Amino acid sequence: MSHGKVKRRHMDYSLFFAVIFLLLFGLIMVYSASSYEASLKFNDSAFYLKNQARATALGFIAMLIISRIDYHIWKGPAFLIYLGSLFLVFLVLTPLGVVRNGARRWLDVGISVQPAEVAKVGVILLFASILSRYGKQLSSTLKGIFICTVLAGIPAVMVLTITSNMSSAIIIFGIATVMVFVCSQKTLPFMLIGGAITGGAALIVYMVMHGIIPETLSYRTARIRAWLQPEAYASGTGYQTLQSLYSIGAGGIFGKGLGQSTQKLGFVPEAQNDMIFSIICEELGLFGAIAILLMFVILIWRFVIVANNASDQFGAFIVTGVMAHIAIQVILNIAVVTNTIPNTGITLPFISYGGTSILFLLYEIGLCLSVSRSIEV
Amino acid sequence: MKMSRKQKRKIVTQEASNSGFSGKMQRKLVVLFIIVLLAFVALSLRLLKINREKGDDYKRQVMRQQMSSSRVIPFRRGDIVDRKGTKLAYSEKVYNLVVDAKMLLSDEGVHLEPTMQALQKCFPEVDTTEIREYVNKNPGSRYKIFAKHLPFNEIEPFKEMQKNGVEVKGKKVSDNETEPEMMDGIWFEDDYERKYPGSSLACDVIGFVQGDNTGFFGLEEFYNDTLNGTDGREYGFMNEDSVMEESIKPAVDGYTIVSTIDTNIQSIVEKHIAKFMNEHRNAYRQGAAAKNIGVIVMNPNDGEVYAMAGYPVFDLNDPSNMDNVDLTQFLPESVSENTAVDTEAEEEVSGNNAPEDPMTVARNKIWRNYCISDSFEPGSVMKPFTVAGAIDSGKITGNETYQCNGYLDVADYQIHCHNRLGDGLLTVQQGIAKSCNVVLMDIAFAMGKEEWLRYNKIFNFGYKTNIDLAGETNASELTFNEKMGITDLAVASFGQGFNVTMMQMAAGFSALINGGYYYRPQMVSEIRNSEGAVVEKIQPRIYKQVISEDTSAKMRDYLRTVVMSDPKECTGWSARPIGYTEGGKTGTAEKAPRTKNDYLISFMGYVPAENPEVLCYVVIDTPNTEIQSESTRLATRLNRDIMTEVLPYLNIFPTEEITEEEAEELRAKQDEFSENSSYWTISANELLPENEDETSEEAEDNNEEVIEIPVEEAEPPKDSAGNPIVNNVIQYDPETGYPLDPATGEVLDPVTLLPISPKPKEEQYAPEEGE
Repeated sequence: MSHGKVKRRHMDYSLFFAVIFLLLFGLIMVYSASSYEASLKFNDSAFYLKNQARATALGFIAMLIISRIDYHIWKGPAFLIYLGSLFLVFLVLTPLGVVRNGARRWLDVGISVQPAEVAKVGVILLFASILSRYGKQLSSTLKGIFICTVLAGIPAVMVLTITSNMSSAIIIFGIATVMVFVCSQKTLPFMLIGGAITGGAALIVYMVMHGIIPETLSYRTARIRAWLQPEAYASGTGYQTLQSLYSIGAGGIFGKGLGQSTQKLGFVPEAQNDMIFSIICEELGLFGAIAILLMFVILIWRFVIVANNASDQFGAFIVTGVMAHIAIQVILNIAVVTNTIPNTGITLPFISYGGTSILFLLYEIGLCLSVSRSIEV
Repeated sequence: MKMSRKQKRKIVTQEASNSGFSGKMQRKLVVLFIIVLLAFVALSLRLLKINREKGDDYKRQVMRQQMSSSRVIPFRRGDIVDRKGTKLAYSEKVYNLVVDAKMLLSDEGVHLEPTMQALQKCFPEVDTTEIREYVNKNPGSRYKIFAKHLPFNEIEPFKEMQKNGVEVKGKKVSDNETEPEMMDGIWFEDDYERKYPGSSLACDVIGFVQGDNTGFFGLEEFYNDTLNGTDGREYGFMNEDSVMEESIKPAVDGYTIVSTIDTNIQSIVEKHIAKFMNEHRNAYRQGAAAKNIGVIVMNPNDGEVYAMAGYPVFDLNDPSNMDNVDLTQFLPESVSENTAVDTEAEEEVSGNNAPEDPMTVARNKIWRNYCISDSFEPGSVMKPFTVAGAIDSGKITGNETYQCNGYLDVADYQIHCHNRLGDGLLTVQQGIAKSCNVVLMDIAFAMGKEEWLRYNKIFNFGYKTNIDLAGETNASELTFNEKMGITDLAVASFGQGFNVTMMQMAAGFSALINGGYYYRPQMVSEIRNSEGAVVEKIQPRIYKQVISEDTSAKMRDYLRTVVMSDPKECTGWSARPIGYTEGGKTGTAEKAPRTKNDYLISFMGYVPAENPEVLCYVVIDTPNTEIQSESTRLATRLNRDIMTEVLPYLNIFPTEEITEEEAEELRAKQDEFSENSSYWTISANELLPENEDETSEEAEDNNEEVIEIPVEEAEPPKDSAGNPIVNNVIQYDPETGYPLDPATGEVLDPVTLLPISPKPKEEQYAPEEGE
C-alpha cells in the first residue's frame, strides 16, 4: 500500500463519543422499556438490560480492538467474508435455523445470530473492496452497474426469501446503492432509478388501496392497508403502529419523564425493540426524540468527514457504507414508528434491543475508527 | 469479473495515483448527508404533526386503555409502631365503589334497575340519580369512582346481594332463574386509608399522609419511601395473535418502622403540657399560657428519643381540621412579631411569601415540630457548654474563682448578672449553680473567641443533628462566626445572641453528661418488612467525642449542684423529683426584641445525677406571667412533674431518702397525675421479687423489661389499712422514703428491690451525698 507512514494519529473522538452516548442512552431506554415485561416474563426486571449490556460490552471491546487494527487486512478477504455471510443466510434453512416470533431469522450456534446483520457487513466490505479497485468501471458503465446489482441483489434476495426479512433486504440493497452512487461519475441515472422506485411503490400502494391487489395475497398488503388506516385495523395489523402513535401523542413536548411511560406496560409490542423510539417519545417527548436525532446527525456528519479525509478509497468506501447502513436504518425505523411508511420490522441502531445488531454495528464503527486513525493530520 | 490484463494494470495505476475520494465523490457524500438531514427534518416535522393534530386524542386514548384493560393494585403503606410495638399509624384496607357504565348498560339495560335499587339500599350516601345521569352521558365509560374509602362491613351487604340476586318490584330475581346476575357494572376497588389510633398522640413526630401516600412532616415524611411499597398491576394486553392476555403483578407492601418513641412516656409528656397550658391560661394577660412549649425526653446514653412534644396538638386523622385546636397564638398578628433572631425558616413550610390565608399559615405552624424546626436563643442552658469547652481545651482548670459585682464592663456596655447586687467571689461550680453571667463571661474571655467558636462547632451548633425526622433546621445563619465581637462573645457565653434548636441542645447536653459522646438523636430503631422480618436495625451512632471523659465527669459534678444544692445556692432545686438525684441547668433567655421583656424559659435535667439514664428538656416560650424572667420555676416544675411519672415507668428507682412531707407530697401528686391517665404505672408484679435469693444484679436485669398494665386490668392492691392503692403506683414508706411492695406492704431496698427484713442484713442504705 502506498499511503505514507505517519507518526501519531488519533481516531475520531467525536465519532467515538457520539457512539458511547448512543450506547449508554440505549441501555437506559432498553431498561426503561423492557423492565416491566421482563419482570413479568422472567421475574427479573433487568433481564433484557443484562443481555444488552453483555452484548454492548463485548461489542465495545471488539470495536476498540478493530479500531487498532489496520483496516486494510479486510480488503483481501472481503469477498470471502461476503460469501461467508451468504452461507450463513443459507444456513437458516438447515436445522441450525431458529424460528422466533413467527419468522425464521436466527441461527443458533451457541449464541443466536441474525445472518442478515452479517450480510450487511459483508456487502459493505465487498463493495468497498471492489469499488476502490475498479470503481470507475463498476459505477459508471452499464455492465458495471449490472455486476453491482447482481452482487447486492444476491444477499438481498436471499435475506428476503429465506428469512422473509424485507427491511434487511432493503438496507442491504440501499447500502450498495449509496456506495455505488458516491463512486459513480453520473448522478442523473440514480435520480431516475430512485424516482422509478418511488413511483412503483406509490403504484402498489394505490393498487392495494383500491383493492386491485387482493388483501389476502400477502401479509404485506395487509400491512400497507393498516398503514393507510391504522384505526381501521386497530385490533389486528395496525395495532402496533397505532399504539406507537398513541405513545408519541401521549408524550407531548417534554414527555412524561424517564421511566414514566404507561404504553410500555404491555401496550406497545416489542417496546424495547423496533418500537423503542415511541417509548423515547412518550418518556422524553418531542424534545428528547429530536435530541436523539441530532445525535445521529452528528454521527453521520463525522462519517462524512472521515470518509472525505480517508487516506485511501477503500477506507473511504467502508465509512460511506457504514454511514449508509446507519442512516437508512435510523430513517426507516423512525418512519415506521411515526407511520410514515408501512410497518416493517427494523431496529434503531445502537438503541434497540438486539445482540447481533449491536455487535456488528460496533464492528463497523471499529472499522470507521481504524480508518479515522489513518488520516494524516 | 472478466477483465483483460491490460485493463487491470490500468486500474491499478489509477488507484495508485489517487489516494482518497475525488472531489466529485466528496461532493456526492455531502449531498447524501444533506438528503439524510432533510429526511430527519421531515421525520421531526412528522412527529410534531402527530403531536399537534392528534396529541390530545392519543393522550385520551392512552388514558382510556389504561383504565379499561389494566388496574392498579395498591400497596399497603407500612405501619409506624412505638418501641413496645403499639401502633402509632397503620393503613386500613378500604374500598372504592366503581361504576362501569358499559357493563351497567349491557344486555339492553336489564342490569340498570336492580343495580340502582341495590345501591340505594346499601349505600344511602351515594346519589343514584347522579350515577344515572353519568351513565346516560357516558355510556362507554368503564371506570368512574362514586364513593371512596368504604370499610368492608359497609360493602358486605351489597356484595352479598350481588351474589344472591336482588328483589325487583316484589319479584325475586336470583341466580336460578332465566336471567342470572341481574346486577352488574359495579365493582369495588381496593384502597387503603391511613389511621392514627392515638389521634393527636405524638402528632408532630409522626406527621400525616395526604393524597397518594405522600407523607408530610415527621416520620411519615422522612421515612416516606421506606413506608411506601410498589403498586402492583392487573392488566390485559394484546399478544402477538391479537388476543387479550391478563396478567397480575402483585403489589409490594411498604416497610414498617419501629420508633424509639414510647407511647406511655409520650402521653405523660403531652398530658403535662396540656395541664400546664390549662392551668396558666389567662394567668397574667388574656390568652394562652405560653407562646409555645416543647419537651424532649431521651436516653442520653444512646440518643434514642422517648418522647417529643409541642403545643398545640392536632388530630392526625384529620390534620386540616383545627376546630379543637387552640389557634390564638398562631393567627397572623403573632406571625408579624417575629424578628431577625426569633424567626424560623417559614418558607420551608409555606413555600412562598405571597399573602396567604391566615388559616393556612396557622396550620403550617401547628403542623411543624417545634422541637426540631424552630430555633431560639438558649439562655443559661448554654453555660455548661461554655464551661465544658473551657475545661476541655485546658483554658481553665475548674478550680478558678471569679469575682461577681453584678455586672461586667465589656466594650462600651455594662452587662449585668441577673443578680444585680453581685454574687461575690464564686468558684466555677458556684457560677454554674447560681447561673452567674459574670463568671461565664470571664470564662469565655479566658477561652477566647477562636476557642469558643471551635467548641461551638464541636458541640454541633449550626449543624443539623441529623435526627430522622422531616423538617429539621440547623439555624446556621443565626449562629456566630469569625466576625463575632467581644460583646458577642460575652453574651454568647450565657446563651444569648445566637439560635439553637431544642434537638441540638438536647443532643449536645447528652454528650456533656454521658462521657463526651455525641450521639445522633434517633427516632427509629428498626425497619421491618410486611411479614415482620427485620430488614434493618438502626444502631445508635456516635458522631464524635466532643469532650473527654474527665471533663464530662466534672460537668456532672457541677450540674448536680444546680439541682441538689441548698435552694439559696442554686437555681434548679425545684426540678428535683422526690426520691431522686438530678442534675441539670436552668435557662432564662431574653427574647428579641429586648424591649418587649419577653423571655424563653427552659430546664434541661437528667436523672440520676451521677449516672444519667434519662434526660428531659423543657422549653416554655413566653410564659403568661407578670415577670417572665422570674418564672423559670415553671419549667423546672414541669420537668419535675414529667420526671416524677416517667422515672418509675422506666424502672429507675428512687435512691434518696424521702421525708414525711415529701412522701405526702408525692402521694398527692400521684393521685393528681393519675386522675386522667390510664397508663402511668409500674405493675405490682414488677416490684414483686420472685426469687428473693437472687443477687442484686440479676434483679436489676429483670427490671429492664417493663410491663405495662392498664389500670383497669390490674386488681387494685390494698395497703395495710385496707384502702385500695390507687392506680397501682409505687408507694413510699413515709419514714425511710423507701418504696413499699404494693402487695405485701413490705419496705423494699431501693437498689435491690428486695424486702428489707426488720433486722437489716446490711448497713442501711445511705445516699452517696447527703445534703
